[in-house]
This record gives sequence, structure tokens and C-alpha cells, in this order.
Amino acid sequence: MHVPLATGSALKEMSMKATRCISIFLIGFLAQHAAAQEELRLMPGKFVLGGPATSQRLVLEKFRGETAVAQVEDAQFSSSDPAVVKIEGNAALPLKNGTSVITAITGDQRATADVTVTGMDQPLTWSFRNHVESVLSKSGCNSGACHGALAGKKGFKLSLGAFDPDADYAYITRQARARRIVLSDPGRSLVLTKPTGAMPHKGGVRFAVDSPEYRVLADWIAAGAPGPRENDPRLRQLEILPVASILKPGAKQQLIVRAHFSDDHIEDVTRWVKFTSTNESVAQVSGDGLVQVSGHGEAAIKGWYLSSNVIATVTSPHVPQLPKETFASAERKNFIDELVLAKLEALNLPPSPPASDAEFLRRVFLDTIGVLPSVAEARAFLADSAPHKREKLIDELLGRPEFVDYWAYKWSDLLLVNSEKLRPAAMWSYYHWIRNSVASNKPWDQFAREIVTATGSTLENGAANFYVLHQDPPELAETVSVAFLGMSINCAKCHNHPLEKWTNDQYYGMANLFARVRSKEAEGEGNRVVFPVANGEWIQPRTGKAQSPRPLDGEPVAMDSEADRRVHLANWLTSPDNPYFSRAITNRVWANFFGAGLVENVDDLRLTNPPSNAALFGAAAKYLVDHKYDLKELMRAILRSATYARSSQPLPENASDARFYARYYPKRLMAEVLLDALSQATAAPSAFEDYASGTRAIQLPDVNVNSYFLKTFGRPLRAITCECERTAEPSMVQVLHLSNGDTVNQKLQTKGNRLEQQMAANQTSEQIVEEIYLAALSRFPTPDEKSRIVAAVNEAQANRREALEDVYWSVLSSKEFLFNH
Amino acid sequence: MLHLTARGQAHTCDGISRRDFLQIGALGALGLTLTDLVAAQAAGAVAKEHDDRNVILIFNLGAPSQIDTFDMKPDAPAEIRGPFKPISTNAAGIQISEIFPLHAKHADKFSLVRSCYHTAAAVHDTGHQMMQTGRLFTGGINTPHAGCALSFLRGRRSDLPAHVVLPEPMGPTGGNLPHGQDAGFLGKAHDPFALMADPSKADFKVPDLLPPPEIGEARLERRRKLRAIVDETVHNFEASDNAKLLDSNFEAAFRMMTSPQARAAFDLSKEPTAVRERYGMNRFGQCCLLARRLIEGGVRFVTVNTFLTVFNEITWDIHGSNPFTSIEGMRNIVAPMYDQAYTALLEDLGSRGLLEKTLVCNLAEFGRTPRVNPAGGRDHWPQCWTVYFAGGGVQGGRVIGASDRIGGVPAERPVEPAEIVATIYHSLGLDLESKLPGPQGRPFPLVDTGKHPIHELF
Repeated sequence: MHVPLATGSALKEMSMKATRCISIFLIGFLAQHAAAQEELRLMPGKFVLGGPATSQRLVLEKFRGETAVAQVEDAQFSSSDPAVVKIEGNAALPLKNGTSVITAITGDQRATADVTVTGMDQPLTWSFRNHVESVLSKSGCNSGACHGALAGKKGFKLSLGAFDPDADYAYITRQARARRIVLSDPGRSLVLTKPTGAMPHKGGVRFAVDSPEYRVLADWIAAGAPGPRENDPRLRQLEILPVASILKPGAKQQLIVRAHFSDDHIEDVTRWVKFTSTNESVAQVSGDGLVQVSGHGEAAIKGWYLSSNVIATVTSPHVPQLPKETFASAERKNFIDELVLAKLEALNLPPSPPASDAEFLRRVFLDTIGVLPSVAEARAFLADSAPHKREKLIDELLGRPEFVDYWAYKWSDLLLVNSEKLRPAAMWSYYHWIRNSVASNKPWDQFAREIVTATGSTLENGAANFYVLHQDPPELAETVSVAFLGMSINCAKCHNHPLEKWTNDQYYGMANLFARVRSKEAEGEGNRVVFPVANGEWIQPRTGKAQSPRPLDGEPVAMDSEADRRVHLANWLTSPDNPYFSRAITNRVWANFFGAGLVENVDDLRLTNPPSNAALFGAAAKYLVDHKYDLKELMRAILRSATYARSSQPLPENASDARFYARYYPKRLMAEVLLDALSQATAAPSAFEDYASGTRAIQLPDVNVNSYFLKTFGRPLRAITCECERTAEPSMVQVLHLSNGDTVNQKLQTKGNRLEQQMAANQTSEQIVEEIYLAALSRFPTPDEKSRIVAAVNEAQANRREALEDVYWSVLSSKEFLFNH
Repeated sequence: MLHLTARGQAHTCDGISRRDFLQIGALGALGLTLTDLVAAQAAGAVAKEHDDRNVILIFNLGAPSQIDTFDMKPDAPAEIRGPFKPISTNAAGIQISEIFPLHAKHADKFSLVRSCYHTAAAVHDTGHQMMQTGRLFTGGINTPHAGCALSFLRGRRSDLPAHVVLPEPMGPTGGNLPHGQDAGFLGKAHDPFALMADPSKADFKVPDLLPPPEIGEARLERRRKLRAIVDETVHNFEASDNAKLLDSNFEAAFRMMTSPQARAAFDLSKEPTAVRERYGMNRFGQCCLLARRLIEGGVRFVTVNTFLTVFNEITWDIHGSNPFTSIEGMRNIVAPMYDQAYTALLEDLGSRGLLEKTLVCNLAEFGRTPRVNPAGGRDHWPQCWTVYFAGGGVQGGRVIGASDRIGGVPAERPVEPAEIVATIYHSLGLDLESKLPGPQGRPFPLVDTGKHPIHELF
């Protein structure tokens, strides 16, 4: 396992070289388990101190393989040439140019690091862009609560998180008649007297007079307060040490963050980094990067510095330690199983045993095509003794017509097909385009390309309705990002994204790609024509200029090019080198089957919200790219994995798992599937106003169809592109509706329903119970269930029908029915 | 004090484990009996003081403009002061906007806090989180709505749920963030019961509260028994929170549908027409009336959402352009409806002797820009706004805090959302230092250290 630097390019590299990554991962994994030897390392192992004001924090760490397992707290550090490098506490400081070796000792063990000192003959300079802004950020001066607020504070404004150094420089040095800095006497500058409390400051004391913060600002002013320069070194990437650690509750770990700049110099910026934990119930982190582990599971520690983010993963395995056999003996059918089991072993979470045929049958039907197996299908599958019957079933389901209904519905959610916003003819056209795409198994890259570059009549090219629903370029940029990249760039509309690398400039570059799309009314109800034009720019409010049209971190298009800018966007979007695109759709498909995305929430992919299993996420996305974005191939791999076929029954040791796939997670059926399942089990179809009888809920093109059931059980509004619109959480209102409402109760009384058919065929109570079990739960009742239920029916005597209705109700309101498990 | 044992279970100092604690809480939502409650009180898990106190939280979703309502700036330039004039009220020295003539007759009952502010992003959702839970969600930790924390700490008082939200939970307001309107880490068992209906509709009834006529008591009982048989066989749901919740929902639903007291509380037809009309025959008006009935019926906390979204609805969100609201829309539609219903609620609670033990708080997620925008509206402004309180021990006719000359920032006594929520807990007599079981058993203070109630109100 290499040490990835958490940047876009590193992600891209990981994705492109996923195979190598996996093999390295597996080798590392095996090696680690063969040897399981602990090794002492001094972090960082080799570094340069490039000038008088530099320093490097040192941490002595125990590693197993590439994973840190404990920080040595009593380490003693020494320098081989104290005239070149001196040790102060746990930091190395330069004295003169040369080299030295730092040795860290604990007990009778040691580790070393090579240091080179350069630049001691150069004068000390602080850069406004890189140093002064870091001080202002870390001290909180430019936070949203303080001077970073839109209106500033007390007349003094800074850009939020220092996203605009030129503006900040003007605010500090020019505004307020330049009284914020005093070049001739830096100590009298307001930017020093206020935050140190020498003068009253609403924001309190931010740093002391003898602090590094004070020194940077004072030295910078004394040097004439030089502004940001075009040739300032720019931050390229951040590195965090240790990037992955396995620690126990109670353990402490000091993190080190190093910034790599464009002129190839590297600085220890730990002091200037803002740290936060994404899972505080597992690990907390202090302002100076000291992690404290308090629970079991996994936490990502995020470091933010100069608008960049970096992540360190802290794993705290569950206890007690399980034998290796637990994992070694688990079935592995493909890469998914390999990578899931590797993660489970790291976390010490045992996998649940395989699911029964009946569980698998019901599960795979509901997850893949959104319907229950029929009674006949259930009987046949359960009786089938062929060894590969599950694989055969999977292949059949991927080719069924209901597959089209189900997935067309899912993508209609994503693309907001909705007759409230579109005229009926346009809505149908949009829906049919999606439906035909699913039916022809259109590769996802082509699907996205056709949406993004859509032109022409909205009635002839349904995809063009995307440009009717969304018209304003920023909204288009945001919607394309959520729908196809699984990420929200909205924050960057006003300032650099605090949780991602996206900048305000990138946001408006992306928006400007849509500046030349127009649409106009055309003949026919709901008909509009979408077309590109050859000119027009979208202005970035901050600069008053248009950013060159550029897809996030892709290459820009020439401003004067008259080609449709959206084609350029589509090329970037669907390129196999774009890690976000394949991951976003992989995560959506994954979440459909496993109930929890590799990243949660499904459309919240961002650097600072890492996947639960990064190696698996990379490998699954690569698998999709390798299979030319054929979603069915990804689905097939998922469905064939042993991971998908695990029982949902928790083991005592994995009951707390909800992210690592130690078992199948039961999930409440989505509203439409549940309503259809009720109809199917009772053989009493639902009726929807204006739709042909027999139309199933999942076949509706539109959410603007009146149904109390669907509304109550969490159907989305399709108003904004967000997975959060749909909910599967049970509520009392749902329970009241199942119990007293007109859905289940009416189906139980519908003429010609399953129960009436059974009674007309003179089925015995035993037969009736068996059939409703097969129809609703895809299994036979146990002898105990059957006898107790039949006894209750027999008790009723006179009113057998009512008693049997109550049997149906009980099955249809059971957890086993309401959940896919 | 709580400490953690090796197995990650938290214990209180009197030996109640987190599991017990949770069970007490869960039972509460499902109908803790009085004996249980007394036992829990004896064990120290529930505070006794002010146990008869209630809260009606009116959430002015969309966020009213402070300058056009309760914090007028008649001396400011026209682009600040806006189109409305101040009027005097029955409380000495308090002036409010002419758009609230009825409020002016009741100013002796409520007190204004003119210096509320928050520092998070100026999107609706963050303010909803902070004003209802006291905190901004960070680190994956969703803190509970004050009514849900109350439900957890005190349980239900009758067959009705402890916390009801009218008419529905908040819908999308543009930020795609949670609104802080549920129980968060306390678990969905403490989520409020949502009415999901408009009580001003002629055919209003609580959806599905009563079984259909053909399902009598005997059949209900049989259905329960049979369902238990089906549910006993498969044990795959033990670790599924949603599945466990479904079970508890079934129990709670059964309790509510079999309780005459619960049914009566929701029955607005028992109110004289004159009373219904005094509140206003619109959704918000009838929700306020229903809130009063529910409090009488034993509900401890009612959240009334004035609006459900800011899109395509006339609300407080007066950006001035579509799909939002214009300043005229606020004056002509929102203000009269609101003025009528709120004052009816105060009168009604007062005449029934309920106001003393019921805190009525009118909150919003932020204020609006002091400067009128080019569309003639005002945009989001979390730097300063006004909230107000009545009943529940609050002394009326006061103004706490003040904004600067343009209503832009607090000039005196800045108040943050955590202090608002602390004020609610204080009125309820809850111990602000009590601990909730946070994620993975981490004890979570009801209110963060250093956040105090607004004592000047009481």
C-alpha cells in the first residue's frame, strides 16, 4: 500500500492504477500478516530545512507494514551535528547549512532521519500569500464568524478562509487609511495590537506577543509588508503523517502535515493546519493535530491549509481479537469479496454467514428489478438443486422488462422528471428518453454525454428537457456536479469550498461552460428548442469578469472558440481519467444493492468525506470503466459477490457495523416498490388517476401523481437533485396508515384478489397460509408458524374470511415483508 | 457524572446504564406510566421541577425581516427603514410594525429579544438546526430538537406523544442540510409525531388515526397476535435501527388509536366556530388552535411550522422576486394571518390558565438585510434578528438586547441560538447540566458549557 497524497491527481492516479493498487494492497496485506513485525520509524524519514525560520516536528512511530500502530511517547531526539540542526522539544531547527542525522531513541530501540539544511545564508522572508494568510486562517481571523463574514466585522473584512489574497492584501494594507499596519513600527499595527489584546478586540486574544503567529506578522510588516506576487510558490499538495493508523481507544497520535510547493520546497505546516474529525465518536483531534481515540470504528481526520484538504484515517479495531481463520475461511468470489474481507479483518469485524436461498431470492428480485418473485418463481427456485442457479437467476433478472421500469424510475429521480415543472408532453418525452436508455443498456458515459450536450426539440430529444428544468448557468453547473460527479460545489459560488479543493474561480469556470445555451418556445405544447449560441459569458461577481470556461480541474476552452462548450465539458466529464464520474455512478449503484454507499451520503463525494473502503471504491469504479460504463456489468459483479449474498442476521461481534458490509443491511422497501409489493402479494393492483389500470407505482413517469401512500412512505418531490429527497425511515404516520389506512385494508377487500381466488379454489387454511408466505415473503411458513396461524383462523369459525384477511394483514405489516433483508 | 466501562457502556453515577437510560427514554415516547416515571425520577434520571410546563414553538420558517416587524428603524434612511411605520403598543416604550396591529394590544404578554445572531452560513437550514437544537451539526453529530430532548428526558404525559409537529416537518429550503427537527442521535423513537394534514381543511382528520369500521376491537387484537407470530421467526432485524423503530411505532400507534383522550385532542370540530374563526380559517391559524388542544390533552411540546418551504409559497422569505416572496406579499397575506393566529393563541391560553405553564416562543432562522435589495425585498441576514417569548414564566412587555442603528448587528446583549434553546429548557425546569447519551455512549451535555438562558426574560 503506498502512501497516497490526498489530492485530485492522486485520486486520479489511484483510480487509473487501481489494479496495481489492489495488487500492492493485497501483497502488503499478505506481507503484513506473514510478518506482522513492528518497526520503529522517525517521521518524517528525510527532510530539508530551507531557511532560518523553518522547523520540523518529529514523531517516533511504531509501524506494522505501512500502517502506524502507536506513537512512542517517551522518544528522545538527538542531532548528529548540533551545529547544523538543533533539537528543541520535539522539533528540529536549522542553525547553518549542512547535513545532520536525527536519532530518536526509546528503550534500546532507535530510528533515524536525514536532514539537509539550506538557505541559511538567505534573508528571512515571509510570503503574504502563504504565511501571513495561514496565520490569519489558523487564528480564525478570516472565519465566517469573524472578519470572514460577508460584511466583515467592525469595518474590517477578510476573504473567507483567505480565498482571495489580493483582496486581503488591500483590506489590510490600504483600507481604513492604511492604519492597520505601521511599517515604521510594526508593533503598533492594529493587526498586532488587536489580536494580542493590547487594544480592545471583540474577537478576544487570538495569539500572544511571543508566539510564532506574532513573529510572522511582525517580521512581514518590518520587511515592508510585501504583497502577494504572481511568482509566489503555490501549494501543490498536502501530505499528512501517518496517513493511516490503527489505534486503540485511549491512544494518542500526533499528526504532521507537510506542504509541497510548486518550487519543490516542503514545509512543516502542522501549526497552521485546521484539524477536524469526521467521526468524533471514534476519534477527536485538537487544534494542534493531536488525535485522541475514544471508540471503535473508523474516523477520518481532516487537515485544512490554504484552501487545500488532506485526510488521515484512524482505525480502531473492534475487540476481542478474532482468529485469522474467521476471515481466511470466508468465501471469496471476486475482487469485491477480497477487498471487503481485507477491511473487515483490519477492523476485526467477522462476516455473517451466507443467506438462505429464500432470502437471496427475495433480496435479488427487490434490489434488481423492484418486484417480488411470484409464488411460482419462488417454488421453482427453492426446489431447484442446480449448482449455479443463483448466477442464472442474476442473469435473467438483468434482462427482465421490470429491470427497465425500476432503473428508469431511479434515473428519473436523479434527473427530476416531474410534470409540475414540465408540461405533460415534455415530461413524457424526458421519461421515454430515460426509459429507452435503460432498455438499450446505454453506457453511463454516453447517457451523461447526451444529457449534457442535449440540443433540439424537447419533444423529440427528451434529454433536452434537462435544459428546461435548469436554465441558469450556476444552477446547471451545480446540478451536473451533483448528478454526475456526486458532489456539491455550491459552497464555491461565494467563496472557496471549505471542504473540497474547488475554488470560486473554478465554480465560475464551470458555470461559464453553460453560458451559451439558449432555449425558445416551439410549436406544440411543452415544446422548446434548446440550442447553443456562439457568444455570451457568465460573469463572476467577485472579479466582474468571466472565468475561462473550464470543467472544474480540467483544461479550459478558449474564450473565443465558437464550438459548443458543453462538448468540451462532456469530454472531460466522461473521460476514463475523470475519477469523480465513475465513482459517483458506482456509488449510486452500490448503494442501491447494499443499502449504504461506499460514500455516505451517496451524492456527497468529497475529499473530506472519505469512502468506508477506499481500495474497494477505487476497484469498483475501475471495474465499471474497464467494462465501458456498462452498469449491468457492475451490477453483475455486485450480485455475484459473496458479500452481497451474506445473511442479514447480525453476529454479536458485527452488530454495530453499518458501513463495512460484514452483513447485508436490512432496508425498508422504497415507497413505490413497497406499494407494488402490496399489490402483488394481494393480487389487488393500485389505481392511479389518469393512468391505465394495472400501472405499477414504479412504472409512473412522474412524482406528481396523487398517492397518500407514496407521499407518506418517502417518495421524493424531484424538486432538487439530492438523494436526501427520498427517505426510508419508518414513522408512526406510516404505521397508522398500514394499520388503519385505505391501502392494505382496501386491497384485502378488492374483488378477485388473491384471497378470494384461494377461497374460490377451496384451498385449505394451510394452503392459504403457505401461499401468502410464498407470495409476500418468498419462503414457506415454518411448521410452528403454520399451525399457530391456522389455529387462530379455526378459532374464528363463522367468519373465516375476516380471519384470513387478518392473516394477510399480519404478514403484510411484518418487518420481514416491509424490509428487504 | 458518567464513566465509560470497557464495553463502551456509559453508566451514570447512580448505576443506571446507558441501556437502562435509553429504555427509560424509549418507554417515555411509547407511554411511560406514572409509576415508571416516578421510579425514574427517584433514580435521578428525570428532573422534577416544572414538570407541568409545556412549550409551543412557532417557527417562522423563511425568516421575517427584523426591521419590518419588531425592530423598526424609523430614523434610518429610506433604503433601510423600508415601507412600514412603527406603532405604539400596550407596553410602555415598545413600538412594533404597523403590520401587526393585534400584536400591539398584547405586547404586555410577550418580550422581545432584539439581538439574536448566528455565525454559520446564511442558508435557512443552518439556522433551523441551531434554533431548534442549540447547535450547528458538525462531525457527523446531529443534535436533537429541544422537544425531542424533552421527550427523551420526561417521556409522554398521556396517550398522546410527548412532541408533535404541526402541520408537517419542514421541507426543502435550499441548503440540502438537515433542519434539526428530529431526535438526531437520541434515535428516531424520540422523533416528533407529525400531523401530515392541514387542519383548516373541511374534511380534516388525523390521517389514519382510527381503524376502518369493519375492524373492531377483537380483530385489532387478533391482528396484533398474528403479527407477533410472523415477526418471531426471522431474527435478521436485531441490529437494524429502522426495524426496531418500526416495532416501537407499532406500539405507539396502537396506543394512540385506542385512546379516546388522544382522539378527542385532535378533534377540532369540538371547538365553537367563533373560536376557530378567531384563530383564522387558514392552515397556520388552525394549527395554533390545535396546538392549544394538544397541550390541554397532555402533549408537552408542540412545534408549529408557519410555513413548510420557501419555494413557490408566500412566506417570510421576502427576497422580492420569484420563486420567493415580495414585501407586499408579506404585508397583505403573511402578516394578517400571523397577527391574528398568534394573538388568538395568547388570549386563549391566557383565559384557560395555560399561559403560565406554557412557553410560547416565536423563532426564526435569521433576519434580513438592513438594506432593501434592488428587487424591493430583503435577503438573508444572520448577523441580527428578533425573536420573542411569552408565557412559561416569561415576564411580558420587555425588550432584551438591541441592534445597531440599522438593525445590522447586535449593539447590546448579543444572544446566540444556544442561549435561545437554553431558555426553553430553563422554562421547562430542566437541569441544563444533565447529560444525553451521545453517539457511541458519549455523554452529551443538554446545553454546552457557558451557554445560559436569557434570565432577563423571567
